[in-house]
Amino acid sequence: MMINILIGFGVALFGFVLQTSLGGINRKIIGRLQKRYGPKWYQEFLDIFKLLSKRAISHGWLFDFGVIMALGGIIATATFMPVTNSIVAFPNYDNFFIFVYLIAVGMLGMAMSASGSGNPYASIGVMRALTTMLAYEVPFMIVILTIIKLTGTSSITGIAEFQQLAGNNWFMIALPLGFIVSFMALMGMLGKKPFETYIAPAEIASGPMVEYGGKQLGMLFIMHEITVFIEVSLFVHLFLGGAENILIFLLKYAAVYTLVNLISNVYGRFKIDQVVKFFYKWPLLLAIVQAVIAVYLGWVI
Amino acid sequence: MASLELLLIFTLISGVIAYLVGKVHPKTGSILTIIVSGIVFASLAYFGLNEQLLTKVSYLPYISFIQTPLAIFFGVLVSFVFFMVSFFNPYFIDKYTYKAVYSLLYLLSLAGIIGIFFTDNFMTLFFFFELVVWSSLFLIPLGRDEEVSVWYFGFSVFGSFALLSAILLMQSVTGTFDITTGLQAVSGFNRLSVFILLLIAAFAKLGAFPLHYWLPKVLTDSPDPVTSIFSGGLEKLGAFIAVLGLVKLVPTGFFIDVMDMYLTHYILAILGSLTIIGGTVMAIRQDDAKKLLAYSSMSNGGYIIVALSLGSSAGISGGLYHIIAHAIASTAAFLAIGAVARQTNTTKMSELGGMLHKMPITYMVYLIAIISMAGIPPMGGFISKWLIFQGVINKGLILVAAATFFGSIGSFLYVFRPLAALFLGQELPQFKETIKEAPIVMLIPMVILSLLNIVTGVYPTNILAYINTLLVDLNIVQLDITRWTIVGTNGTLNPALIAVMFALGVFIAFIIFISLKKSRKVELMDTYTAANFIYTEELLHYSVDFYAPIERLYEPYIHFMKKFYQALANKVREVGALVKYYIFTSKPEVATFFIMLVIAILLWGDLV
Repeated sequence: MMINILIGFGVALFGFVLQTSLGGINRKIIGRLQKRYGPKWYQEFLDIFKLLSKRAISHGWLFDFGVIMALGGIIATATFMPVTNSIVAFPNYDNFFIFVYLIAVGMLGMAMSASGSGNPYASIGVMRALTTMLAYEVPFMIVILTIIKLTGTSSITGIAEFQQLAGNNWFMIALPLGFIVSFMALMGMLGKKPFETYIAPAEIASGPMVEYGGKQLGMLFIMHEITVFIEVSLFVHLFLGGAENILIFLLKYAAVYTLVNLISNVYGRFKIDQVVKFFYKWPLLLAIVQAVIAVYLGWVI
Repeated sequence: MASLELLLIFTLISGVIAYLVGKVHPKTGSILTIIVSGIVFASLAYFGLNEQLLTKVSYLPYISFIQTPLAIFFGVLVSFVFFMVSFFNPYFIDKYTYKAVYSLLYLLSLAGIIGIFFTDNFMTLFFFFELVVWSSLFLIPLGRDEEVSVWYFGFSVFGSFALLSAILLMQSVTGTFDITTGLQAVSGFNRLSVFILLLIAAFAKLGAFPLHYWLPKVLTDSPDPVTSIFSGGLEKLGAFIAVLGLVKLVPTGFFIDVMDMYLTHYILAILGSLTIIGGTVMAIRQDDAKKLLAYSSMSNGGYIIVALSLGSSAGISGGLYHIIAHAIASTAAFLAIGAVARQTNTTKMSELGGMLHKMPITYMVYLIAIISMAGIPPMGGFISKWLIFQGVINKGLILVAAATFFGSIGSFLYVFRPLAALFLGQELPQFKETIKEAPIVMLIPMVILSLLNIVTGVYPTNILAYINTLLVDLNIVQLDITRWTIVGTNGTLNPALIAVMFALGVFIAFIIFISLKKSRKVELMDTYTAANFIYTEELLHYSVDFYAPIERLYEPYIHFMKKFYQALANKVREVGALVKYYIFTSKPEVATFFIMLVIAILLWGDLV
């Protein structure tokens, strides 16, 4: 049991390092796209460690407690995440619903801490984040329902192995409509443009993050990197057939994250009601059509 | 007391004693309610869970008892809610006009509860059902608004008539009032009618769509302890009737192969889904914290209906577990809001803010309760939602699943609202000096309920094992559980592991936090305001129209049920006026004539 727990925290650390480096590389890519040099690839590490070493302000015990709860909840979620078929801390317990709901503890901690700061921008940001969540989660979950119904398991490694056994017939190809919907939902989850509404630096001063500085902000950065790791690798396992070894995982992970970044950089920002309207129009309809086709009619490529 | 009959008589007599004592000294009368409901809960829990309750009846006429796992399940749960809430009674008794009656009615409702769950006879069940309706009916107007009890009465009467018709129909077909044999013997078209009538009664009591209209009104305007009783206890009567109709009655009608369920049950699942969606969207737009939680109760009632209508072991055990998890969580949440209401005399979120700084324990209680209500681990609500999702996905119910997911994510939105607006944010100046933490006696039940929220989420095995024995009684396949894990149809859950990992994660984060430089404490008003100079707390507190952007999207479409019921109420009023005009005129002989005429028509077959 002890060794499993250590593997779990190893996965969390791996996710942090991977995502922080990849985030730096992506900043470089985006820089080149916009005819800039862009920062060094390890710039994000420097930012985080600088923040952690600074002396910060605190708005009371809840302000700090929320940050601790946020980081703790996200680390706990990451420990359940499989990296490859064999690198998984708790085999059989990597249930899909754990990721959706345990990640929410971390989110709740952050939302609580942000509201506890007493800054209205933070509350507005939290409101927008929750509203965005309500928008993208429903179409996404319907696609997941289709996948679980088809594979008969909600274990992430189980779903990945199902796709590998079917001769690399990934759900990206088998469920094309579902894939499109989930990709849009992934952009919403990651808070990338055009669904960046809840961060909106120019409008509500980074929303929930407005009051943070120093170690609290550094910890929230770490939390953010691990959250991105969880969400992107969830997507890799669900739609891209998971990974047999770590190299394939890195490749798929980098491909998905870079694609999201490239797409997001050509968009502007939706207003919050536009986000909701967007997700409850085509993505929801496509998700239901996909589910009916796959579950009731059994037409899966 | 091991004898159910003695327990019932004891509760009734102590109700009268509490009334008499309350006439002299109201507070002592309300303290009696704590003692009596504690004794009732302790006896039911101790003797019930060991299956040692005595069902022999020697004093009361026409009443017979039976000891089933289902009865014990509901009896222990609801009497527990009554016990927990009773700690609040002494602190709220001064606010009521009729102080002594309150204690009497409180204990009468409790007596009715025992009667409903433990009887084996449908007529007795109906009698106690009415006892509960009537005693709770007079509890409601002790609160803010008296008119809501009329709405409650209207819907309850509708539910009661449906229940009575179901009972009489069943009796006329099978010749027995016995619950188990009667429900199994009724067949054919009559079975469908009994099913529909029973479910109408269940919906009316549970406050499910389309019979939901009374629930938010009653839960908002009744006194704070009564609200908790309704949400945690009396609403569960509806769930009990729903179990009778959905599980004990053999299903009938068209069978949908692709979904592996009956059409009648599918329609119920759809109605449950509408309840979830309706409750969620209405909860999001409320300003009154009690009303918000009231709509959340409605939405959770929808979950119970969806889960029970699935008919699979994951579905039904999920539904039963949800009954427990929601009873605990919503009672805790309502008690926390009640504690705030006692200190501040308001539950409007736009008038409150920053209660955290003066009432930290109440805040933690509310936080733990909402984590459970939103179905987030490591709390009890997660286990039940996980089981319900297992059931829904296994049947492949796409639309129902969409509604359950919507309700689940939507619950994050609405439960966060009181947290942010009422407990967090700027500390408003009018509450800075005067407010204190709730008295210690009020904190006792809240802390116990919070601990139970955590226990039900970390170690659900004992409760699930009991639900398994209950499933045997209901002829349903048992849920596969081991000491630490729950095996669903498409995955295994280890709640304790999740809790341990969460604790370790928080521990690591804590280590990181304290090993870094200490922060400087600043005031709440010392915040970033984009170069504006703001010196008043109200201007920096975002609590009015919190979810305005999303409310605007559905605002125009939400009033159709309200319009329908108000039009119906107007029609009833008109008919009443007509009857009054023609029959109850100023001449008494006309009224007497019509009364005689009605009696003659009613007795037509017997007299002539």
